[in-house]
Amino acid sequence: MSAPVADGVPDPGAPDLVLERRRMQGLRLVGLHLRVNVMNELQYRSNFAIQLIQSMVALGTGLVALALVFDRTDTLDGWTRPQLLVVMGVFTIVGGIIGFVIEPNMGRVMTDVRQGTFDHVLTKPVDSQLLSSVREFRVWRLTDVVLGLVVLVWGITGLDTSVGVLDGLAFAATLAGGSSLVYCLWLVVTSGSFWFVRMDHVQELFFGLYRAGQYPVSVYPAWLRLSLTYLVPIGFAVTVPSESLTGRLTWERGLITLGFLVIAFAITRFVWVRGSRRYSGASA
Amino acid sequence: MVEDVIRVDGLGKVFEVPVRDPGLAAAAKSLGKRRRREVTAVGAVSFSIAAGEVVGFLGPNGAGKTTTLKMLSGLLHPSHGDCRVLGFQPWRRERDYLQRITLVMGNRNQLQWDLPALDSFQLTRAIYRLPERPFLAQRDELIELLDLGPLVDKPVRNLSLGERMKAEIANSLLHRPKVLFLDEPTLGLDVTMQRRIRSFLADYNQRHGASVMLTTHYMADVEALCERVIVIHHGAILFDGPLRDLAERFASHKTLVVTLDEPADLSAFGQVMEQTGARTTLRIERSRTAVVTAQLLSEHDVRDLTVEDPPIDDVIELAFASGAVEQ
Repeated sequence: MSAPVADGVPDPGAPDLVLERRRMQGLRLVGLHLRVNVMNELQYRSNFAIQLIQSMVALGTGLVALALVFDRTDTLDGWTRPQLLVVMGVFTIVGGIIGFVIEPNMGRVMTDVRQGTFDHVLTKPVDSQLLSSVREFRVWRLTDVVLGLVVLVWGITGLDTSVGVLDGLAFAATLAGGSSLVYCLWLVVTSGSFWFVRMDHVQELFFGLYRAGQYPVSVYPAWLRLSLTYLVPIGFAVTVPSESLTGRLTWERGLITLGFLVIAFAITRFVWVRGSRRYSGASA
Repeated sequence: MVEDVIRVDGLGKVFEVPVRDPGLAAAAKSLGKRRRREVTAVGAVSFSIAAGEVVGFLGPNGAGKTTTLKMLSGLLHPSHGDCRVLGFQPWRRERDYLQRITLVMGNRNQLQWDLPALDSFQLTRAIYRLPERPFLAQRDELIELLDLGPLVDKPVRNLSLGERMKAEIANSLLHRPKVLFLDEPTLGLDVTMQRRIRSFLADYNQRHGASVMLTTHYMADVEALCERVIVIHHGAILFDGPLRDLAERFASHKTLVVTLDEPADLSAFGQVMEQTGARTTLRIERSRTAVVTAQLLSEHDVRDLTVEDPPIDDVIELAFASGAVEQ
């Protein structure tokens, strides 16, 4: 690190320390925060029991609804029962990822902005978006990911088609991409709190919409399908990964997802930077 | 020559705040069109602070202290003026800048609530990218200086307010900042703990030559730590100079404590504040101090006599009052 020079005067405050390299700092921060959160949550074991019951009830009702649908018909808009189980599995996994990392961090940002404690993020020599996105982890919400995987495997075993390594890789990539899209959307909504302060109700709205993701978006009418795909990217987060396992994913769809992801990240970054600058202007 | 670490030039902050009349009708109306008013939090302040200096930044609530500190620590973008801290423009929030400063706010908690402070220190280490050895050295030094030894392995939630503040301060200094912005670091603490933190800050300043800007409502903090004070009121600087000059500038009176051989009525010399037996406390005009002292000594059998400035709290109050008048 070179000592900064202002007006030709050498900086009297150059740190005495040679700092560690910035490379991998993001991963280290994730790792450490994860560790801290695990230690925190291990103190509250009852949370695990409650979470497990909640997850089972949510999944159970979803499965019952699915069973009712298949009492009357063999396919839903071309999706067979095992295929819809795959969708249900992916839906539960993504829900778990949201509850594990996205929602707690975004909720924390909203609280911090409201209470003025966002100061602590902005005075740290780390990218504020990165730090704001990795501080909180609700470890027990991973039960949803595990249960989702169980349903997913159950669905896959019933499929007529076989799932190859390539399909698995495509699934992992689209799942990561889809979850990232959800993160982007959520962060944009969260950044709204820099302007409007109270945004909690919008989170609720998102959860309401997310519930629509337990079915493939193609079963919905066009206006809802388009909203669920491009406005609230549940289509990308749940349906596309499911397509990759059920032989429906086309290269085209994959590329659109990728393009959409790049655009979403750019927009998110823009809104975040503008918003956090605005926080500077609003707090005293 | 001592380098200026902080240079502030005509710095000011104007906030736009929504205004509305009280009542339901006005609340409903404000849903549509909102009226806004400009509020000047800080007018245009200028000052500079040298390396290693500890400066008390004083003013009543709402004077603009915190706003100024927030501009200096990069949290707020000023409306006008300029400032440089360590050669950086704070609000650009460059990492190299944030790496060198710290902002401590009393009553604010940055430590992990359910975990021992040591775990939070590790997070801080990662955020500031501190190599292990200097980190451990600095950590252990802070633990020793702040008597944190028996506390750092207890969950933070089990610590008292004062203990937590000590851990909080340690956490904020792990990266050895060159400039410390302390916003009421002793707020709400008992006298012993206040004293402990004060002596630590003085010690830290000595050891590391860090510059400190401190806001506080406790004059004991100021007396113990700051040779220089800046008094701000209604967003403008009222006084900037040595603490001892403050009384001269704002207190028009001095306090004379006289003990005579026998009790006597001294009301002719000045306003009698208190009289117990032969001991009298007089309030006299500053300009008459010498005359009155001489008179007392020649006309009475004086066993003991002291001339004092009013307590610093009173002086500050007078300074704020004069600021209010100037407005």
